[in-house]
Amino acid sequence: MKRYEVFLKKDGRDEYRHAGSLDAPDDGLALVLARETYLRRAEGDRLWLVDRANLVVGDTEFVAPNADKPHRHNDGERIAERRRRLREEQAPREEGSSS
Amino acid sequence: MTGLSGGVREFVLAFADDEHLMGQQHTEWIGIAPFLEEDLAFSSIGQDELGHAATLYAIVLGGDSDEPVDDRQLDALAFDPDPLRWRSAHLTEIRTDDWAHALVRHWLYDTAEQLRWELVAASTLPALAGAAARAEREEWFHRRHADGLLDVLLPAPEAGERLRAALADLLPIAVGLFDPVAGEVEAVAAGVTAAPFHTRMPEWIDQIRSRFDVDLPAADRSAPTGRTTRSDAFGPLLSRMREVLDLDPAATW
Repeated sequence: MKRYEVFLKKDGRDEYRHAGSLDAPDDGLALVLARETYLRRAEGDRLWLVDRANLVVGDTEFVAPNADKPHRHNDGERIAERRRRLREEQAPREEGSSS
Repeated sequence: MTGLSGGVREFVLAFADDEHLMGQQHTEWIGIAPFLEEDLAFSSIGQDELGHAATLYAIVLGGDSDEPVDDRQLDALAFDPDPLRWRSAHLTEIRTDDWAHALVRHWLYDTAEQLRWELVAASTLPALAGAAARAEREEWFHRRHADGLLDVLLPAPEAGERLRAALADLLPIAVGLFDPVAGEVEAVAAGVTAAPFHTRMPEWIDQIRSRFDVDLPAADRSAPTGRTTRSDAFGPLLSRMREVLDLDPAATW
């Protein structure tokens, strides 16, 4: 048995998304079984199967070191906070001017 | 709404019964097929067969009418406790306790089923021709599933041996699929089906020869029974199918 990773998408919409994985003896049966396992309710109309043996995997030690550098994060929280504050400051003025 | 009558009714009913029992048999593998993905695939294929059965029973009851058939009326026909009303082939009645037999039956049945739908693809009964077109959209996938498994398993020594042993067990029963009901003559005369089903049997035997790489004698039709007798397996199968209905026969569904 081989293990395959299953990706689905709807035609013209979204990107391929990982739906799960699948065991099958070969590529042909993997397609057949993927249809019954992941597509019985028309969850997508495009299908990719990737044999897990063909995945290029970065191991944790290689990937993790950047996790402790918060100064590189750009999650927009500080800007969002500032804009929220400005909005709140403006709100009473706007109400006052419209009445 | 006028349902079918006479020989044509019996002809469509036999097809419906085969599809119904085959679907039931496949779905009984839910939870116990060899691996999870196959479990889902096999029971889903069974569900398709149950869908074909429902369509065919609706044709028996409603003929070519566009009016929907009452579900309870359909259930009463599909789960009729009277064995005399049934026209199923014995292949669809027997229980297969091992996967090799279940898989070989799946292949034998679906290969014959393709030939059977082809015969009614241009039926003078438009609802039946429509059902044939719809069924073929699902059946090619069923055959690909069965063939995909056999491609992998037949060349493997132990699996191949078990599958060929299952074929030897099942073939004498499977030829009964081509056993006509008495009404087939009338169905052919009315153009409901293009020809008697057994005329396609040599083609089926050839397919078995090349698929399993076995020597088989020329198509051997067992003495026709008109499908009026039930096998020993039928009673227990019908009880399993009626299990919930029989809990409270007076209940309204």
